Amino acid sequence: MLNSIKPKGRTVFLYLLVPVVFFVFTVFVPLVTAFVYSFFEWKGGPKKTFIGIDNYVQLFHDATFWQSFGHNIYLVIACLIGQIGIAFIMVMIVNSKVVKLKGIHRTFGFFPSTISAVCLGLIWNMIYHNQYGIINWFLRLIGRDDLCKVWLNEPKLVMLLVSIPLIWQYIGYYMVIILSAISSIDTEIFESAEIDGANGVQRALYITLPLIKNTMLVCITLCVAGNMKAFDNIFVMTKGGPGTASMVMAMYGYQISFNQSNMGYGSCISVGIFVLAMLVIGGSQALVKLLTREKEA
Amino acid sequence: MKKKLLSALLSVAMISSLLVGCGSSADTTTDTTETTEAEATEEAPAEEETAEEATDETAAAGDEITYAGELEIMHYSTSEESEGNGGSDGFRTVLAEWDEAHPDITLTQNVLANAEYKTQIATLAAADDLPDVFLLQGMNTIAWAEQGLVYDLTDDIKSSPYYADYNTSYFAPFTVDGKMYGYPVLTGGTCTVVIYDKAMWKEAGFDAFPTTWEDVEKASEYFNEQGITTVAFGNGGKWQANSCFLSTLGNRYTGPDWFMSLIAKSGAAFTDDEFVAALAETQKLFHDTKIFNEDFNAVTNEDAREYYISGDAAAFIGGNWDESYIWATLKDSNEEKFNNIGFAVLPQPADATYAPNSQNIGLGYAVAINPKVADDPEKLAAAIDLAEYVTGPAFANYVATNYALGGLTKVADVDLSGFDQITQDFYNWSYVDTETCEIYDSYISSAVWDVLNTDLQTLMNGDITPEEVAANAQAAYEANY
Repeated sequence: MLNSIKPKGRTVFLYLLVPVVFFVFTVFVPLVTAFVYSFFEWKGGPKKTFIGIDNYVQLFHDATFWQSFGHNIYLVIACLIGQIGIAFIMVMIVNSKVVKLKGIHRTFGFFPSTISAVCLGLIWNMIYHNQYGIINWFLRLIGRDDLCKVWLNEPKLVMLLVSIPLIWQYIGYYMVIILSAISSIDTEIFESAEIDGANGVQRALYITLPLIKNTMLVCITLCVAGNMKAFDNIFVMTKGGPGTASMVMAMYGYQISFNQSNMGYGSCISVGIFVLAMLVIGGSQALVKLLTREKEA
Repeated sequence: MKKKLLSALLSVAMISSLLVGCGSSADTTTDTTETTEAEATEEAPAEEETAEEATDETAAAGDEITYAGELEIMHYSTSEESEGNGGSDGFRTVLAEWDEAHPDITLTQNVLANAEYKTQIATLAAADDLPDVFLLQGMNTIAWAEQGLVYDLTDDIKSSPYYADYNTSYFAPFTVDGKMYGYPVLTGGTCTVVIYDKAMWKEAGFDAFPTTWEDVEKASEYFNEQGITTVAFGNGGKWQANSCFLSTLGNRYTGPDWFMSLIAKSGAAFTDDEFVAALAETQKLFHDTKIFNEDFNAVTNEDAREYYISGDAAAFIGGNWDESYIWATLKDSNEEKFNNIGFAVLPQPADATYAPNSQNIGLGYAVAINPKVADDPEKLAAAIDLAEYVTGPAFANYVATNYALGGLTKVADVDLSGFDQITQDFYNWSYVDTETCEIYDSYISSAVWDVLNTDLQTLMNGDITPEEVAANAQAAYEANY
């Protein structure tokens, strides 16, 4: 019965051919060409000189690149805690019986993630603004002028300050994913837990979390991957400054490739980002799996 | 069998729709450019008189053009930019005139805003796919000439009908080993001008803007008491401290020969004591004194000039593009403040010994031609004619009579009487009353300036020493130039 409607292998292949070719062309071809270019000295223009692994040697010793990598890791950690952690807590609150108008909470929670990162950067630039910003306005209002700062010009604070808009933006996004996962859990489980006397925190930690483990794993992967390629809102807010205090890897690659017209080394940085992102994503997945296995044992 | 046929048909349909999809994007570009052309032509009639005069002058050159076909040009004078900006408006106007005068040539314009233009042209250069005619930025000249991306125009420039009227010093950033690679384009404007409010400085006890930084510092005590920023500056984009400050301040310490030697690679280095002293002075002024707005590294020049316009700052340092914005904004909104606009050069540091009355002025871009155009001598002649026209007397007359600005071609006896006092003042300040010096980032290499600009931000915050900044810049210079 099933076989009669199942199309032949060749038909399936033909249908898939176009999207697969398209995918290969837009994803794999640039990746492979970037890999090839990374072995050349290519300062923009038709002339390319093969220099072997010189670019990689330079990358290995490039303090700015590793500083940027550190900033990406900072973002990953801040956003794992901030985005997914807060989203989970928010979902627990929205799902509890005391909260009314759940639909409105969901809609407004999701709202920030529909705004483009460039607009968000500009909005938060205004919030942090030295003279007209709301933070300094508030500090002056409560008479703490001494705490007023040029927020985005503080090398020690700037990474935290650029991660706040990122966290704020994506809480709603993860809220929706986690909400849909929770709604698929059988309500009887919660009811029986309640009868057994489990409180809200216990229900969240010992019932909900283990049951949506796979969704959380997806969220973590999305979050790590998203933050390894962070670019747009930081570009709008600080351009990586002051100096390189908020530089991330993708922005450094952009700066080398386009501001300095060094396409060869820029390609090498792209390959570096790819490899490091793979390692971090793989590492985080392995870590999560290891942690959850221990609990089960 | 039917199914097979159907699936085959469907695949063909999908592929063709994809191809059409790809193709249509190219079509859209042409469409938009055509609309821009149409808009530009519509703007032109208002200036018909100037246009006709100019066309007469160039008729001789125009007659020789036998080429018929397509010619593409890429530039950044968008219609938004041209409002209030004399250079852009003039460029668009003369380009439309040239297009109209050559009906056999289909001129395709690809117009992008400046920031996007820079990225796009760098990408096209890397792919060896530059348009026929484009604008070359001074600091790319050497690298692109080496790569064979720009056509050597030396003989054509020297035989140009307007050569006698050219301000030849403007060719310097586009000249490598005696060969010239472009016609400097748009208007020559300063990159470092102090714009100040005469009334506010009078209250502080100064009849004119101080000529030394010590006096500015004294004035800052007065202004800070009033809660007013003495001088507004914005370096959020990282390039401003270089283009609109250090380039002029550096010249005060090193003199012009040092920079010429740096360009020619004949001995000067960023680590030379004079340049390090200029960096140290920059750090001192921004970090140790209270002259500037404390958020200079977090705001752009667009934000900083608003501090001046709103009266939160008594002076502002920026380029000619900021001057035209402040001029236009205050003219409409605040006549009293408008009439109090004054212009000054950067004050002189106490330990600097050169050119106290200097400002950096020049033309940052030049019309350049893709060497591939030379395969067709008729097309090349058309491209050269276009380049000569948009930088020639037609353009110079237009910007002189409408905006009191100057370009590559000199205009004799500019009649300034029709302009308001501020425009006249700025014209005299820019072209008559001050000495000139070079704009750093019109030369050398973007790779060097990008490294220096990033460090400058840290330097101005006081988190790195002038010696380290100089050493990093020198390393980038040795590796990339």
